[in-house]
Amino acid sequence: MLLKLPYKLQVPLGLVLGVVITAVLVTVVAARISARTAKLQTLTTVQSVVVLLGIQARPLLTVDDTWRIFTLLRSTAALLPGIEKNFSRAAVLDPDGYVVAASDPTRLETGSLLLQAHREAPAVSATAEPALTVKRRITLESPNQSVTLIDPISSEDGQVLGYSYVQMDGAVFAPDWAAVAMPAALGGLLAVLFLVPAGWLAGIQMARPVARVAQCIAQIGYTGNARLVAELPSDGDPELSRIGNAVRQLISEMDVRKQAQKRAMSAERMAAVGRITAAVAHEINNPLGGLLTTLQTLRLHGASEPTRLQSIDLIERGLQQIRTTVAALLPQARIEDRPLALNDLDDIIALVQPTAAQSGVVVTSDADASAAFHVPSAPMRQAMLNLLLNAIKAAGDNGWVMAQLDSTPTAVHFTVKNSGNRMSSVDLERSITAESGDDPHGFGLWVCREIASQFEGRFDVLDTSAAYTHLVFWLPNRGKDAFTSVD
Amino acid sequence: MNRQTFLRRSLAGLAASMAGCAWGNTRALRIGLTPVILADQAAFLGRWSDYLARQLGSPVTFIARESYQGVLSLLFSGQLDAAWICGYPYTRYQQQLQLLAVPLFQGRPLYQAYLIRPKQPQSVIHGWGDLKGRVLAYSDPLSNSGWLVAQSQLHAMGVKPRDLQKSFFAHSHRNVAEAVAARLAHAGAIDGYVWETMRQQHLAGADHTEVVWRSEAYGFPPIVVRQGARHPKTQQLQNILLDMASQSEGQTLLKALNLAGFQPGEPQLYASIARMAAQTEARLA
Repeated sequence: MLLKLPYKLQVPLGLVLGVVITAVLVTVVAARISARTAKLQTLTTVQSVVVLLGIQARPLLTVDDTWRIFTLLRSTAALLPGIEKNFSRAAVLDPDGYVVAASDPTRLETGSLLLQAHREAPAVSATAEPALTVKRRITLESPNQSVTLIDPISSEDGQVLGYSYVQMDGAVFAPDWAAVAMPAALGGLLAVLFLVPAGWLAGIQMARPVARVAQCIAQIGYTGNARLVAELPSDGDPELSRIGNAVRQLISEMDVRKQAQKRAMSAERMAAVGRITAAVAHEINNPLGGLLTTLQTLRLHGASEPTRLQSIDLIERGLQQIRTTVAALLPQARIEDRPLALNDLDDIIALVQPTAAQSGVVVTSDADASAAFHVPSAPMRQAMLNLLLNAIKAAGDNGWVMAQLDSTPTAVHFTVKNSGNRMSSVDLERSITAESGDDPHGFGLWVCREIASQFEGRFDVLDTSAAYTHLVFWLPNRGKDAFTSVD
Repeated sequence: MNRQTFLRRSLAGLAASMAGCAWGNTRALRIGLTPVILADQAAFLGRWSDYLARQLGSPVTFIARESYQGVLSLLFSGQLDAAWICGYPYTRYQQQLQLLAVPLFQGRPLYQAYLIRPKQPQSVIHGWGDLKGRVLAYSDPLSNSGWLVAQSQLHAMGVKPRDLQKSFFAHSHRNVAEAVAARLAHAGAIDGYVWETMRQQHLAGADHTEVVWRSEAYGFPPIVVRQGARHPKTQQLQNILLDMASQSEGQTLLKALNLAGFQPGEPQLYASIARMAAQTEARLA
């Protein structure tokens, strides 16, 4: 039960439990010691009473004054422990062991043979001495805890005149558990009252680093690893430090694994693209063979008008096929090598207008060439085309798209905003990240990310509080001479 | 304070001074008490001695002893002027003693001896014959009700002293009742007047005991003086005692004593005790 509770509850409750158990053990030990001490004190008191009784009864025994012995017993027995509850009684016996008088004649009847009765009692027969041989004080204890003291009363010349006799029931020595346990119980209660809040605070204090480690572990994958590592406890308790170091090791290994997965995924994608390219090249090679054949036919039979027209038609269809195939290769192929120009944005806007018109999306653009463009036109055009087509699709019917191209001495930026549902950086990652080895959901966006990665630029979502999506694509503006180095 | 009041109080003070002087010139009259009455009530004895002193015009002192023999010794040695003793010692020393007054109990100068037992449902004591092997408490060896009657009755029932398991003297009738109540003894021989007075006062000794047997009536324990050694105030003391019932304060004191008054008494009152004593002493001799 206790082990199922939170750690911050286990600590104070464990402390309280420990205190209670300790208090109980202390109470039990104290009670046993107290009981033993009380019995010794009681026996000491009774021995004093026996001595007092013997001294005062001696002259009365000499004259056989039963009444005065009785009055002596009544007053002396008041000193006996437990007399108020009738747990103890005293008597004076004659030399033969008969009761001369007793403090409680109903229990110790006058004239009854008491010492003989003791000799015959199985419980005490082993320890009791014959009456005539009791020459010194004896203490008899029976299995039921009752105790009997017998002390000879002797004359000055040593003649036994009788005996002082005190009998106590076992209840006299029964510890008063409530009284004995009360101090320990009060101490335990005070300790509990103090230790519960103290233990509670200590538990919270002790559990806090553990809770922090648990929180960090729970945030793995949702929060930056660097931040998580910084939040892990690194000093204090050695055990916690070991746990923190283990979590750091885990995060580090997860980083490595994530990078490896990323690289493997990229390689897989490039291989897939290669396979696509090979297939497309195969598709181009076929019409090229047809075109060469047609050109041969035209060269040989071009004089014939029908043949010439038929050959031209064949050439056109072959070229159209190649054009179509090459269009599919545009994201990956380098088809031009010139730097980007301002009118490239106009070309792209013109290309997407038919698509925008189909959805009623208004596309606006702006360009600012503060610095000369030194980025390759082909990948930049491809990225701009993909981003605009994606934005038009995301804007939905009757939406709007705003495109802006600007340059600085260090970078060329192309930003696109659309009125569609807001896309966060997490949404973008989810969109362009392949899951379970499948192709990415957003192929155009993935191509943009690949281009940015290839040319050491960046493609991301600008997270703002605005309700629209704001995508930013930029490539480094490498300068006039450096431009061709990206080939 | 007006003049009359002043004079009245001054005269009263003078009279008291004169009385004190008179007491100072007369030896105090000493009266011995035995356990025939509940003599340990000091406040009562103080009131009674004050009453007698005022009536006598001389101081009166009560001197109590636990045993009858102790009082008799004081009386015969001249240390007492009068003594309230039992009828049995009176008959033993009748030649040396003279009756001064005999109390009236329930209107008569007579009383009874009782045999009492603890008040318990299963008591085996129903009479003197049941005392064989039992413990019997006596009052005093010179007590009529507390010893002599018991001896006579035990003899009559065929119980010899050695047939008793044990017997002891409790030194007073009151102690006999308390010994039986505490079951120190199985039975007790007691003065009927003392037991009835204890019961009237709801003392534990009477409340926890019950009467098993009542004797015939005997002459009530008398107040006696020694022959030929009379205190000058002895006759006056007799008159005062005989007159107590007629005075309000005397009636109050008599009521506390559970008595009706005093009468001069006749030696013949104790003839039955004398006969019983003679028989018992002859038998035990």
